[in-house]
Amino acid sequence: MSKIYIVEDDRSIREELAELLRNSGYEAECLTDFANSRAEVLGANADLILMDINIPNLNGEQLLKEIRKETDTPVIMVTSRTSETDEVLSMSYGADDYITKPYNPTILLLRISAVLKRSAAAVSVQTYNGLQVNDAKGSLSDGSREMTLTKNEMIIFRFMLDRKGSIVTRDELMTALWDNDEFVNDNALTVNISRLRSKLAELGCEDAIETRKKQGYILR
Amino acid sequence: MKLWDYLKDRLWFFLIAAISLGLMLLFLTAFRVSGQLTATICVIFGLFLIAEETAGFFRKKRFYDDMQGKLDGLDKKYLIHEMLKRPDFLDGQIMYDGFCIANKSMCENVSAYKRTADDFREFIEMWVHEIKLPVASLQLMAHNHCDELGEKFQEQLSRIDGYTDQVLYYARSENAEKDYIIKETALKRTVANVAMKNRETAQLCGASIETEGLGLSVMTDGKWLEFILGQLMANSLKYTVEGREPVIRISAEDLPDRVLLRFRDNGTGICEADLPRIFDKSFTGENGRTYAKSTGMGLYIVKNLCDRLGHSITAASEKDKYTEFTISFAKNQFYKMI
Repeated sequence: MSKIYIVEDDRSIREELAELLRNSGYEAECLTDFANSRAEVLGANADLILMDINIPNLNGEQLLKEIRKETDTPVIMVTSRTSETDEVLSMSYGADDYITKPYNPTILLLRISAVLKRSAAAVSVQTYNGLQVNDAKGSLSDGSREMTLTKNEMIIFRFMLDRKGSIVTRDELMTALWDNDEFVNDNALTVNISRLRSKLAELGCEDAIETRKKQGYILR
Repeated sequence: MKLWDYLKDRLWFFLIAAISLGLMLLFLTAFRVSGQLTATICVIFGLFLIAEETAGFFRKKRFYDDMQGKLDGLDKKYLIHEMLKRPDFLDGQIMYDGFCIANKSMCENVSAYKRTADDFREFIEMWVHEIKLPVASLQLMAHNHCDELGEKFQEQLSRIDGYTDQVLYYARSENAEKDYIIKETALKRTVANVAMKNRETAQLCGASIETEGLGLSVMTDGKWLEFILGQLMANSLKYTVEGREPVIRISAEDLPDRVLLRFRDNGTGICEADLPRIFDKSFTGENGRTYAKSTGMGLYIVKNLCDRLGHSITAASEKDKYTEFTISFAKNQFYKMI
C-alpha cells in the first residue's frame, strides 16, 4: 500500500483528502506541525507527497526545494494559485505534477496513480485471471491467443483492473477516458464497455464485468 | 495664431489708443500747435503703436503656434506642459505655471485611483484564492459522502469555480501590469484540461468533443489560454439546439508564420446583426435575451486577454447552424531559441 503524505493547512480539506485517499486504498498521513515542516515531511518516508503552496512558515515552493536536496520522492503540487508563473516555478523546483484547486477528486486520484506508476519500476505487464495485459501493445493474451484492444477499451480495462473487486462508476470511467484525451459521450462509453465484455468473453472470461444498477461496474 | 484674431482680441486697446489720439489732437488744436508738429506727433504715435503691436503679436504667436502644433502631434495631450518652454511674457508665464500645478494635481488624483484599483485587484486575487479553498473542500466532501447528489453538487461547484475564474481573469485583463508568461504551450494538454473542467456539463447535454491536429505547440500563457477556451466551451455548451447532439470541434492548423486554432460548435449560432459586437463589453444580443442569464462579459474578457497576449481572435457564424472562433498565434523563432 502506497503511503501518501498530505501537506495542507486547511483542516477541512486535509481531512477530506485523507478520507478520499484512504477510501481509494492508500495510506494517508498529514502534516500538522508546520513549524518543522521540512523535518516532518522527510521523516514521514512517504511514497508521494501532496503539497499546497500557501502554507505557514516555509511556503510550498521553498519546502519543495528543501525536500529535493534530500530525496526524489514524487511531489504533486496542489494549490489554489492559478498563474502560469507558479506552475513554471514549481516544476523547475522539481514537482512531478501541478493541480489547481478546486479539482475533480477522480482526476487527483488518476494523477496520483500515474505519478506513482512512473516512479515505481515500470511493470508494463500485469495479469488478470491468467491473461497477460500488455500496455505497450495494448493487448490481452492467454498465451495462445492475443486480442488487441482499442485505446478506449484499454483505458477502461486498466482503470477497472487497478480497482479490481470494487465498484467503478461510469463517471469515474468517463473521467479516466477524458483524462487521456478521449472526449467521448455517454453512448460511446456503453458501446466500449460492451465491446470490452465480448472481447474478454472470447478469451474465456465470461461475465468478467458485472453491472451494478445505478452504481457502476465491477471487474471480478 | 492669426493676425486678424489677434487684432480683434486687442480691440479695446485700439479703441483706447484712438480715443487718446483724438484727445491729443483736440488739445494740440486747442493750444494752436502747428500742423506739421501735430502730423509728426501722430506719425510717431502711429509708428510706436505698430511696432509695439507687431512685437507683441510675434512673441505670442511663436509660443502659441508651437503649443498648438505640439498638441496636435501629441497622443497624450495632458503631457503638453512637459513639451513647452516657459514663455517670456507675463500672461503666458502665469498660464504655464497654472498648467504645471493642474497637471501635478491631476497626476496625484490619477495615482490615487490607480492605487485604489490596484488594491482592489490584489484583494480580488486574494479573495479568489480564498474562495477556492471551501469550493475544493466541498468538492471532496461531495465525492466522499453523497452518492446520488454528488454529481449534481459537482456540477454546481464547477459553476461556482467558473464564475470565480471569470472575476479573476477580468481583474487580470483590465490591469496594465504584465502578469503572464509567454512560453511554448502544448495545445493538446491545454485542450484536455479545458475539456476536463467542462466534462460534467458536457455530459449532461450529451455533447461530444472532436479534436484534430492538436499535436502543435503555440507561444502563449497556458493558464490564460485555458481560460479563453473554457469561456468558448461554456458558451458552446450553453447555446445548443434542442434535439441536435452538440458537437464541439477543436482543430489546429500549422501555417508558415502562425498557428490557427479553430473552435467550432453546431449550436444556435449568432445572428448577423449581433456578430460584429459580440466582443463588446456587456453586449448580450439576441442569444442573451432568448437564453437565460447572460452577462455579456465572457467574450469581452476573452478578447481582452487575446489582445494582451498578442493573439487575434475572430468569429464566424450562421444562425441555427454553427459558430466558429479562430485564434491566431504568431510564431516567433526567437522565443523557441530560448
